[in-house]
Amino acid sequence: MRKIFPAEELARDSRFVRQSNEDRMNDPRGARVGGSTGEKLSKLTPNLPNGPDRARALMHGIFVGEIQALEGAGRTCYDFETTTDVPFAMKLDMARQCWDEARHCEISVALAEHMGTEIGEFAENTLLYQAACNPDPVLRLTGVNRALEGLAIDVFNTMKEFGSIAGDPVLEFCEDWMLADEVTHVKMGSDWLRELTLNDKERLTKALEFQKVVDRLFSFNGFRGEDDENPIQLTRRFRELAGFSDEEIDDIAQMSREAAAETVH
Amino acid sequence: MAEVKRPREPFAPWDRRVLPGLFDVEETARRVGNYKWVETKLFETLGGWIATVPELDVKLRLGTHCYHHAWHAELFDKRLPELREMNPERLAIPPNENLVDFMEAMSEPEAPGLTIEKLVGAYRVLLPHKIAAYTYHRNGTSEVTDMPTIRMLDFVLQDEMNDWREGEMLLKSIIETDEEIERATAHQARLEKLMLAAGGIAGKGSIGNAYIDITEEK
Repeated sequence: MRKIFPAEELARDSRFVRQSNEDRMNDPRGARVGGSTGEKLSKLTPNLPNGPDRARALMHGIFVGEIQALEGAGRTCYDFETTTDVPFAMKLDMARQCWDEARHCEISVALAEHMGTEIGEFAENTLLYQAACNPDPVLRLTGVNRALEGLAIDVFNTMKEFGSIAGDPVLEFCEDWMLADEVTHVKMGSDWLRELTLNDKERLTKALEFQKVVDRLFSFNGFRGEDDENPIQLTRRFRELAGFSDEEIDDIAQMSREAAAETVH
Repeated sequence: MAEVKRPREPFAPWDRRVLPGLFDVEETARRVGNYKWVETKLFETLGGWIATVPELDVKLRLGTHCYHHAWHAELFDKRLPELREMNPERLAIPPNENLVDFMEAMSEPEAPGLTIEKLVGAYRVLLPHKIAAYTYHRNGTSEVTDMPTIRMLDFVLQDEMNDWREGEMLLKSIIETDEEIERATAHQARLEKLMLAAGGIAGKGSIGNAYIDITEEK
């Protein structure tokens, strides 16, 4: 088996449909409330027009994202040599993450069905897994565990609130459990970033730059932020628990505002 | 003043554990080091395969089992310093080059159409050999002096048995044609030969020697 498995070869059955990120984000049925250009974005709640449908689309997106997170963590177990490339303990964390992501796949596919969705109803892009293909384990962990798992914190908290407002205890319950796991994964990323770059400022800078690139991709069109119009709300409290500084969270919020402004102009 | 109870033996009448065991500290450390190497290679391979397998249920099971074997590797890693090996990496090695060959052959299948070969390697060849070696160790080591290893192996064996059963059931549900049976058995035979050359996951003597040596008289 090769080291570094390409995103375009990710194995799927015939139900899955793959699209570019741009096509997927422009799907009018998508999770972004205000799906097409020019429409006003808004926080995802059950009271919005098509709110429940948007939530269904988001749940399908969570499901395929969890599959890719599982695949990415698995590849990090395999792609690097223990002790020469990465510490044994880091690989153990990645294996633990595999188990967590496998459970998240089970939870999110069951929730998607609970919400009336079936596999393949919405498309998948491989952006998340692509971040997990970085040949530098520090950059990979920073891009996946801090940027993407950080986004998962925001998404799960938004969905948990959605479940609470909608009076759906199953959704609220499951999202809260997944949220607990995601805080753990982001903290793993923060801890390993600190440890592996302790005496390597240049690598730390490159890793944080890579994180920003990934964060920017997922702030597309103001999808995630802390203003009322952001469908997915930035979650300060849980990000702090996971090792983010106030300054880092401010940066992500600002990045989202800039992304939204770029789309408008 | 409380009444003094009558004296009792340190071992209760039903406790038949005995002090001697098959392995001294050095041999135990050597075996545990081999186990850690095998578990590490296995969890790395299962993790790597996740992205290559299109069957959704298999993909998710591989993710779960990947962690089980990582946890076993962690348990063995923690046991090594207790066996006077302060640098666990020194003993976390294969018993011989033949086992390296086996591991490379087992982890070789990558294409999405090779799920049968992947599952056969892990669940029909490697896991049964691990279960055999761990059971031999668990039953042969001293139940008093080496109880920490026994307790560890009991936890590990519980996982191994469950994962073996799950893997075997996945295989049984995937194999649907005569040709697929032949693929499975051919791959199993190829890997079993490599494992035979290795002598098991801890080398020759992984599960002892059941034969009696008889010297023929002239």
